[in-house]
Parts: sequence; C-alpha cells; structure tokens
Amino acid sequence: MSENHAIRELERRLRAALEAVDPGEGFTPRLMARIAAEPALAARPPRAGAVAGWLTFGLAASVVLAVLIAHEWQVRRLEQGREARRQLIEALRVTDEKLNLAYRAVNSQERAASAEHSGA
Amino acid sequence: MSGDGQWTSGDLLTQALAGERAAFSALVRQHQRAVYSLALRMLSDRHAAEDLAQEVFLQLYRNLSAVSSEAHLTFWLRKVTLHRAIDRLRRAPRLESAAPAELAAAVSETQPADPLLERRLRALVGELPPAARAVVLLRYQEDLDPADIARTLGMPLNTVKSHLRRSLAQLRERLDEAADALT
Amino acid sequence: MKTSCSRWRWLLAPVATLAASVALAAPPAMLNLPDFDALAGKATESVNISLDTSLLGLAAGFLDSSNPDDAATKELIAGLKGIYVRSFTFGQDFAYPSAQVDQVRKQLAAPAWQRLVQVSNSRDRTHVDIYVSVDRGVANGLAIIASEPREFTIVNIVGSIDLAKLHRLEGKFGIPKLDLHPEGKDAKPDK
Repeated sequence: MSENHAIRELERRLRAALEAVDPGEGFTPRLMARIAAEPALAARPPRAGAVAGWLTFGLAASVVLAVLIAHEWQVRRLEQGREARRQLIEALRVTDEKLNLAYRAVNSQERAASAEHSGA
Repeated sequence: MSGDGQWTSGDLLTQALAGERAAFSALVRQHQRAVYSLALRMLSDRHAAEDLAQEVFLQLYRNLSAVSSEAHLTFWLRKVTLHRAIDRLRRAPRLESAAPAELAAAVSETQPADPLLERRLRALVGELPPAARAVVLLRYQEDLDPADIARTLGMPLNTVKSHLRRSLAQLRERLDEAADALT
Repeated sequence: MKTSCSRWRWLLAPVATLAASVALAAPPAMLNLPDFDALAGKATESVNISLDTSLLGLAAGFLDSSNPDDAATKELIAGLKGIYVRSFTFGQDFAYPSAQVDQVRKQLAAPAWQRLVQVSNSRDRTHVDIYVSVDRGVANGLAIIASEPREFTIVNIVGSIDLAKLHRLEGKFGIPKLDLHPEGKDAKPDK
C-alpha cells in the first residue's frame, strides 16, 4: 500500500511540477508577423477540401470501386508492414533490456567481489 | 468579427481553414501554452522552446487543410512538437542537460506547494532520455493515457508503459538520493 | 565503437571461445515456445511477438534506408531468421508458475545449446540465463530467460545478431537508453 501511495504522491507532484506555462504575450504577435512577412505563406491561406474536392466530379462508379479495392489492399499491407516494424522494435527493445539486466547483475557481482577482495 | 471568447474551437478551425488569420491567431493562443510547455520541458531552453513552438505553428499554418477536427488538431500539435524536439535533441545533445536557471525562470504563475521539489522534479525530467521524457510529459503535463501516448508518439503500448515505469522509478531513486545527501 | 564493443566483451568473448571449440551438427536454434495461456491470463501486461523470416522481411521493407536509425536496424536484422518474445508482467512478486518455464529450459540442453551466462542479482531479485546455439563454429541462435519479481521474459533469436549493434540502437525508436557506462561516465556511486 505504502509503495502505491508513494507512487501516487510522486505522480501528483509531477502533475503540479509539469503544469503548462505560457510563452508570454508576444508569442502570437511574433508568429503572425512571420506569417505576414513570408510571401508564400501570406499569399496562400489554408483552404479546406482543396485536394478532396475533385473526387466529387464525374468519376465512373466502377473506376471508383477498383481504386477503393486497390487502396484497401495497399492500406492493409501498409498496416501489416507498420505493425511488423513496431513489433520488431519492441522485440529488440526487450532483448536489449534483458541483456542489460544480465550485465547489471554481472557488474554488481564483480563490484561486490572486488570490494570483498580489497576489504579483506 | 467576434472576439476570441465568442468563438467555439470548431468555429475557429472552420474560420481558419477559410483563410481567416484572426481565427488562426486565436487557435494559436488556445494551444500555445501546451505546445510551448512541451517544447520547453523537452529542450530545457526557453529560446529554443519558443523557436520550436513557432516552427510548429508555422507548419500548422501551411498544413491546416490536413486537420480534420479540434481533437485531431490537438493530437497533431503534440505529435509534431515532440517529434521535432526529439529530432533536435538528437542533432544537438548538449540541449539534454537541464539548466536549472532556465527552468526556474519559467515557473508557473500558480504558487506550487513545494517549489523547490517541483523545480527539482522538472530538472530530473529534463535529464530523462528524450523518448522517456516525451512519454512522461504526455502523461503528466497533457494527462494522456498510455494508449493515446502510444498513438501520439507512434510507439508500441508496452514501450510506453515501460518508459513510465522506469522513469518513475528513476525519478524516485534520484529524489531519494538527493534527500539522503541532505541528511 | 570501442565503447560499444568493450561493453559487450563480457558476453562476446565467451561466444567467440565457444564457437571456436564446438563443431557439431546443426540443430535448429528455434525454440518451441508454449503459448503461456495460463500466464497470460494472470498477467497485467503481456508481450507476444513472433517474427519469422517473412515478417522480418516485411518489417525490413518498412525501414527507411535513408534514415540512419532505420538503416542501422536493417543492418542488425540482416542475419536474422526469427525473433520470438514472450514477456509477462504481474501485479505481485513471483506470481508466475515455473512448470511452463521448465519446459523451455529443457530445450536449452547441451549439446545443442550452451549456457553462456547464469547470473543473479540479489538486490533486484533478478535472475538471467543466456544461452547460445552454435552450428559449425558459428553462433546461430540466442536465448534469454529473465526472471524479475514482477516480470518474466523469454527471448529467442534465430540467426546471427551483433549485440554491439543492438546496443548502439539504445535511445532510438523508443528503445530506452539505460545509464550504464562501464567506462566511468555517469557511473552510479557505490552507497
């Protein structure tokens, strides 16, 4: 129980310590000044749906379906690949973690043996 | 044009997407605190944090059409801020060492119950490895649960939990060491 | 480079010695890992990863060679035929039964497998066994069994892996960077 209490207390302190802070009054005006000063940004305000808009115009249903099926396969393949990559990294992480565990244990034994030897 | 307080978040996003700079400015004001604080606690340097936060919002301005909702915007801002911060730390590892003076200058306006302890905690968080630091910030500054942290950082859930476990253990150990040193 | 190599000297040297002295017919280095259903049901968290050659190939395809970290990972797994991980975390100390673990240990018997390391840390109450499988003088598999008070892990790597390269990936991809610098940097003070 006291272990849990200690952790909860630490978490409470962390939340208090990491409360967000403001960058100061000048932050937004400086940012907007940069936007106004850069011609590419100033001339091209963001617009919603500019890319998606063309899809609503005159595409045959069969072509749309073929595209969707191919896209679905690609998306699935992408998901599988990303998941495999995530699992690979996790596996390497666990391997390294356990090797380090063994290393620490060996190191600890060597230090203890060395301390015993010098203290004898 | 209404003042910031009269627009909902959804309104602001819609207006900003339609090209209203005032709406974009209001969106920035809404989110600057979170973005700047993440950057500050990752980089431990106020100037670098402001620079990075500004870059994040510039990137947002250029890519606002990719944001689909208020929730997506928050997710996007956290993700981009932390990934940029981690990239910067990799390129300039000297930023990793926390400068207590810099952190002290950014203390919250509210009066913490134990300012010394909280300053120490911030410094210790600043000494965590970048990925662990990002996880801790998302958990305790942004109050995200591990699944959302994993999604934001593109990290396996178990890795997030491992970071949290180890970081808390490390923070406790270092606080105990500091306490022992004083007795 | 030298730092990474010397850090793993404690493990690589025995592997090299063992590889030089053993010349046996090649048993497969892949363990038959049980599903550990009983353990999974009791665990608060579990990791179950099985990446065979084709999945490793798929994962490698999603590593960006132009990114140094991804490229390093690609290089690391180039010689691998499989990575298998079973890891369980529990809410209480030593809540995992040993019977299924013993089933795995039985597969790690000589002459196919040689135990390189058997070490315990009484302070952390951890125990780690590391085994290597050697085929015609070349290490072609690694197995790690690690027991901690609230976590139990088995790792089986089939193929050859450069441990020094794995260590160099610490701090990237969310692989935690652990503060272990035997050369003296940031060494923990003895209490």
